[in-house]
Amino acid sequence: MSDALSDDGSDINQDDSQEDVIMTPAELIAKLEEAWLNEKFSPELLENKSEVVECVMEQLTHMEDNLQRVKKGDAKASVHRMEIDRIRFMLSSYLRSRLQKIEKFFPHVLEREKSRGEGDPSLLSPEEFAFAKEYYANTETYLKAVALKRMPPNLQTVDMLKAVPEPCLDSFVFLRVKERQDNILVEPETDDQREYVVDLEEGSQHLMRYRTIAPLVSSGAVQLI
Amino acid sequence: MDPSEVEFLAEKETVKIIPNFSLDKIFLIGGDLGPFNPGLPVDVPVWLALNLKQRQKCRVIPPDWMEVEKLEEMRDLERKEDTFTPVPSPYYMELTKLLLNHASDNIPKADKIRTLVKDIWDTRIAKLRLSADSFISQQEAHAKLDNLTLMEINTVRAFLLDSLNCMYKLRSNLQPSSSKGLIDY
Repeated sequence: MSDALSDDGSDINQDDSQEDVIMTPAELIAKLEEAWLNEKFSPELLENKSEVVECVMEQLTHMEDNLQRVKKGDAKASVHRMEIDRIRFMLSSYLRSRLQKIEKFFPHVLEREKSRGEGDPSLLSPEEFAFAKEYYANTETYLKAVALKRMPPNLQTVDMLKAVPEPCLDSFVFLRVKERQDNILVEPETDDQREYVVDLEEGSQHLMRYRTIAPLVSSGAVQLI
Repeated sequence: MDPSEVEFLAEKETVKIIPNFSLDKIFLIGGDLGPFNPGLPVDVPVWLALNLKQRQKCRVIPPDWMEVEKLEEMRDLERKEDTFTPVPSPYYMELTKLLLNHASDNIPKADKIRTLVKDIWDTRIAKLRLSADSFISQQEAHAKLDNLTLMEINTVRAFLLDSLNCMYKLRSNLQPSSSKGLIDY
């Protein structure tokens, strides 16, 4: 599925309908859980999984509509409600951790969005993009109103890209391997160490720098834990 | 990650219960459950098992490994080996806690099991601290962490990752060429 997405990310709607056919709801929930954990542990904002979010939302609304029709006190209904609550928790936790990262790195997120090529998959969903732009504008206005306009004229501008720290891609992450990877280069920590390669076997768990394995996270070959 | 979120993930594991009610198959989004018949064991996720148990609608059958002899064996092996031994369930600690807190009357020798699992946990965490210490002092860039569970990783995560980041910043500040990205904090 991830291959289909990266090959043809520009046409999300088409992918969407294909996925409905090939993915069971259980697999969809597993995808959401994967996206949730990856987003939680990666130092940078990952590509948005709006197709997963939309499908899950659809499932939830559908189930809730059905529950409306059930009479009160049905034993099954309460089980369904519990499941809905669990999925909803995961979904909102996922979206919330994305918003937190957008707030933390907004100039860099917008910069990446600006520089992405035509047809590349978008990092942000339309709603997130609107949020990021608004957050940027509000921060700027606030800084101006509180401090900048009282500064000497030559100091009245602030470069947000420099003022807000970048995501630290060199931080360490814990990961579990889902598809075997050979010859991953590990850079040395200090000058007197040599770089070396490791093989990541399926199912094994590792601790290493995010930068080395970032492409594997987006391709779905490893899962952050 | 909050420990309660790890527990949330553990609640997805399945456990056998013996219901005392009957109900048709339930078609949940995450898969089908049931049918439930009084006296017949059925697999359900832990979150549902605990809910039914709280409403006194079922008896929980503890997982195979939750047994005094097996755990004693595990504890002895864990103490003997220097590396981490394989655990019976990736959520052994959380499941023990959840099941013993909510369904201890269905688990024989619950107190003994609690102590044993705590012993195993303590031994493993001590090993984990030792290896985290040598990871930092030898300035390694990669570590293999097989057989560690999510909860164990989670207990050292915040502290270990933050210290590694701090050390990285301190080190890269020593080399002026690579100090880019650390200005304007």
